[in-house]
Amino acid sequence: MTKSLGRWLLVGMVGAAVAAGLYFGSQVETPMRDASTLLALTLPDPSGHPQALSQWRGKVLVVNFWATWCAPCREEMPEFVKAQGELGSKGLQFVGIAVDEPDKAERFASEIGLNYPVLVGGYGAIELSKTLGNRVVALPFTIIVDRQGRVAHTQLGPLKPAQLTAIVTKLL
Amino acid sequence: MVCPNIWTGSLRKQWPGKRLRCAFAIGGLALALTALGQPSPLPPDKAFRFAARALNPQTIEARFAIADGYYLYRDRIRFSVEPADAGLSVPPLPAGKIKEDQFFGRVETYRDSLVVNLGLKNAAVGQKVVIQAESQGCWDQGICYPPQVQRVTVALPAASAAPTRPNEPPKKSWFD
Repeated sequence: MTKSLGRWLLVGMVGAAVAAGLYFGSQVETPMRDASTLLALTLPDPSGHPQALSQWRGKVLVVNFWATWCAPCREEMPEFVKAQGELGSKGLQFVGIAVDEPDKAERFASEIGLNYPVLVGGYGAIELSKTLGNRVVALPFTIIVDRQGRVAHTQLGPLKPAQLTAIVTKLL
Repeated sequence: MVCPNIWTGSLRKQWPGKRLRCAFAIGGLALALTALGQPSPLPPDKAFRFAARALNPQTIEARFAIADGYYLYRDRIRFSVEPADAGLSVPPLPAGKIKEDQFFGRVETYRDSLVVNLGLKNAAVGQKVVIQAESQGCWDQGICYPPQVQRVTVALPAASAAPTRPNEPPKKSWFD
């Protein structure tokens, strides 16, 4: 009886795992071998000062392409603020790349108390994200880079808190 | 497969064992099937297909075919024409479906399709014009596309098909 129940549970779990794989797989782009293209970028912050992404090399880097006109982006960002607050001291570093105008990006960052840097890429940034795996050129798009500068995860669409925690915990 | 039998009640003695394990199996299978039906996001020009055609020399029918599960924001749709002196007139867009957005408040969106009859005040019969549509929309699964610009060239009907407008001066063609 117990053995039989276990077998059925296994069937159910395999089904659920296949479901999860298919669901998330549909939103995960093909990872790159390394993140050198991304880490070679230099973009201005909202004040116009150029910032090189290479300054965060060696940290677990979460680069999030977002925009104020993108509701799903705005929805997930408070979770990023929370994760940055909780795991920043362990080496987690979020960087937002705004596909937006500097003043709009800055205003929203201030509204939600953003505790990580924002760089402003304008609409050109979304084209840039295409070269980094954003196949359909949409937002939000997030790339997670490990301490060795390799892409650990890319995601088109919202990154759920549990999923984010699971990924970065392994890398920290 | 014992699952169908549980619904007959004949296996009540074995409750909850069989029901429980069947429930897990069916649940897992249902999740897998749901995921199989989960499409990848479409490129924006496939999610929001734009087309335009001349109904007569003064009217262009502009149409968006919006894929299932996608929507366009009403207030982010713009039309323009090249050459600009063809004199595009855009009527008020039809009312959209109200969406209560936690960030943008009450917004109007279009699903399935949007058809707008655009007017051309100064186009010459037989002229070719380019209708340009700017739009912005999202996918229900949580992604949004940046503003898209799509262009369609439309040949206006020949002179013989056009209504006569004797009091107006001849128009200069774009290709002259």
